[in-house]
Amino acid sequence: MISIQDVTVQFGGVRPLNALYADFTDPICGLIGPNGAGKTTLLNVLSGFVTPIAGKVLLDGLDLLPLSPEERFRKGLRRSFQSEQVVDDLTVWDNLMAACDNLSPASPNPEAEVSRALHFVGLSQDAQRLGAALNLFERRMVEIGKALVGQPKVILLDEPGAGMSEAESAILRQRLLGIPPNFGAQILLIDHDVDLIQATCSQTLVLDFGEKLALGPTAEVLRNKAVRNAYLGVE
Amino acid sequence: MHEISQPATTTLAVPRNRAALWSIVLTMAVITALTALTANSYWLTTLTSAFALALAARGVGLLYAQLGLVSLAQMALVGVGGWVALRLSHGTALPFEAVVLLAGVVTSIIGMIWGAPALRLQGLYLALVTLMLAGAFQIVIVATGFPDGGPGLLGRADATQRLMMQRPALAQGGTAYFIYVALWLTAGLVLVEYLRLGRSGRAWALIRRGRAAAQSTGVNMFRAKMKAFALTGFLAGVAGALLAGNVGQLDGRSFSAPESLFLFALSLVGGAHHWLGALLAGLLLRAVPSLLTDFGVSGYAATVIFGAALMHALITAPQGIAGQVLALAARLRKPGKE
Amino acid sequence: MNFLSFIVSGLGIGAVYALASVGLVLLYRTTGVLNFAFGAAGAVGAFVAFEVDALGFGLLLGCVLGILASTVVSSLYGRFIAPVLAYRDTVTRSIGTLGYAMVLLGCIGMIWGELPRRIQFPTDKMFITLFEVRLTYTRLAALVLAVLVVVVLSGVISRTRLGLNMRALANNRDHSAMLGVPVLKVEFFAWLIIGIFAGMCGILMANLVGLKATALTFLVVPAIAAAIMSGMESLPRTAAAGMFLGVAEAVLSAFPAIAPYRSAAPFLIALAAVALMPFLSFAPKRSPNRT
Repeated sequence: MISIQDVTVQFGGVRPLNALYADFTDPICGLIGPNGAGKTTLLNVLSGFVTPIAGKVLLDGLDLLPLSPEERFRKGLRRSFQSEQVVDDLTVWDNLMAACDNLSPASPNPEAEVSRALHFVGLSQDAQRLGAALNLFERRMVEIGKALVGQPKVILLDEPGAGMSEAESAILRQRLLGIPPNFGAQILLIDHDVDLIQATCSQTLVLDFGEKLALGPTAEVLRNKAVRNAYLGVE
Repeated sequence: MHEISQPATTTLAVPRNRAALWSIVLTMAVITALTALTANSYWLTTLTSAFALALAARGVGLLYAQLGLVSLAQMALVGVGGWVALRLSHGTALPFEAVVLLAGVVTSIIGMIWGAPALRLQGLYLALVTLMLAGAFQIVIVATGFPDGGPGLLGRADATQRLMMQRPALAQGGTAYFIYVALWLTAGLVLVEYLRLGRSGRAWALIRRGRAAAQSTGVNMFRAKMKAFALTGFLAGVAGALLAGNVGQLDGRSFSAPESLFLFALSLVGGAHHWLGALLAGLLLRAVPSLLTDFGVSGYAATVIFGAALMHALITAPQGIAGQVLALAARLRKPGKE
Repeated sequence: MNFLSFIVSGLGIGAVYALASVGLVLLYRTTGVLNFAFGAAGAVGAFVAFEVDALGFGLLLGCVLGILASTVVSSLYGRFIAPVLAYRDTVTRSIGTLGYAMVLLGCIGMIWGELPRRIQFPTDKMFITLFEVRLTYTRLAALVLAVLVVVVLSGVISRTRLGLNMRALANNRDHSAMLGVPVLKVEFFAWLIIGIFAGMCGILMANLVGLKATALTFLVVPAIAAAIMSGMESLPRTAAAGMFLGVAEAVLSAFPAIAPYRSAAPFLIALAAVALMPFLSFAPKRSPNRT
């Protein structure tokens, strides 16, 4: 479970996040809001690329802020980026293995872990293909697969469904739903696709101008009047 | 409820990349055998030092292709290795192999001490710092004279005595020593390739992909860079020791700053991304000046040629000659495609 | 030991470092290239100046032609090679100049060989006395030149259209092109200006420390170090860093124990500067957004 307590981020005169409190308790949590609401900034705070000027971030009670991004990875934090980060000149297998390499304590059976993750994201047949040869959907799947090795606790996904077709999006949905029961990891998902959020997230946080607009069960949040005004454009 | 969510029970076959390592051994064996059978003693000596320098070039290529780091002091580090080897060989009774390994280790440490501050910064800073090392080393050579052939750990050669470094007992003759150096080169190339295809190579690839990718995958960037840097220094040191054994002594002038620039330039011209490129770099570095001398052209022409070749490689062939050769070979193998 | 005399004698070389590093920063900000060929281009100018003078045409004409030669050499690169590499990463673009430096170095070697020479100015024998130390007019001229150049150049960059275009390019090459900045022309100007700088520095160094191709080529190292120390940003700060390196080098040579190694001083000081940089507040956080 992720607990965000009074987190404020300041860049010059701008506050992308302002005194934010939020507890994410459900297996899959959504994070939505208009452009510039601070969603990616929050992910960057969680993964260690942005340091807030105030507040605390806890992962199962462990204070994350003093840790470097590398240390957070070892504590079970995983993330994907808006622009995918698949390495073109490594095979799919090596792309996942690269994550396994840096676990601490080292995985007792890295091959089995990578195989299991590849199987889960449907890339077993593609293990020997180079990253450069993959299409967008496959690249997103590599990213998710990479997040699954080494017993992750929390997986942060930044718009994993961007640019996918309907059919691909449906597969993504199925796979996301399968992650908490199979891998025991919690997911925090940013996406603009409200259908994807509705179908996968039981709890959702809505951000607007760096502040919490609503947090609660997804269906309830999406019915919230303020949310509909700010985000869905319903007057 | 989710049909795809069954955990896999079978572990996929692990790719071992053994073929890549064997292809190095095989190619090197063929080249070495052909040379040993055909070359005269002049070319044997030239090719022996070309092989030794190929080892150093592989280090330069590794840093450049894997991490985008520019090392302009490699020849100075070869000089450090050669110096350590000469001193150890004159001052101790260590076997040749131990001298070579120690030269590699000491050079690696000196390289790391010098390069570490820059490794936390962008790639270009290492270029600057290593350029300073190349310059500073040249000044040290001029100021101290390159301690070359005297007895003990610090002795200098003079008119009355000039000690030569003894070759290993196994490889006293020219041909034998050539094969001996070829073995070291093969081992070095295999070592680099083994690391490149394994865990270290994956970490380097992530760093290449970007800081965010590397850090969020738990890669300790400094350590990964340091490892490559240490390896590069080690290869330079070994190359220096092998060079010292080739002629028995060393001339400080062959480790001057421009020589380091040549080695860098030719590592890129040969091809930084492939071990074959390092071999080509070693050959070019030794063969071009020899040929120019044969034709009676000024030695400075080599500088011009190397510089022009570097610019040409950067503009038209980022993978170097090795890349072009391999692409051609691939096209010949699959005539249907392209 | 009178440190003051060493400091004063360091002012000359410091002025050259200041000039060189200001030129390097200007080029880097405009084109994203760290010019390793700066010293070699300066050496070309210095040798031309020496040759013209030796042929009896006078030192003044020699200096003019020398600076012209450096400018031509630098502009050629800026016109024909730099644009081809413009869309590659900073490392590749900068390494290209290293190749060019080697070509220049080789050409100089083929024409003039390795005999050490020196360019003598009549101003070498004229001096003023400062704190009981002689400051030659040559050093004084170098100092004035450095200050003048920094002032004029800062003015050009903040006041003129060329300067505006340069600043735009430093920010983002593609966006500038879309906004109608004549990218190639502006970059060419930067190469031209740095050529003039190289010529001046080369000739001054040939007077202050001697005319040797390799040594002049490596003049680029402390200059780059000064540029990096200043964070590749402000021109006055860059000039100050260059001046500091020159003076520090001269002061270090005051100690007899390290005197034989004193030409290594700029490298060691520069190394210390780079090593300490992450701890300095004005260190560059990132390169200009160009890759």
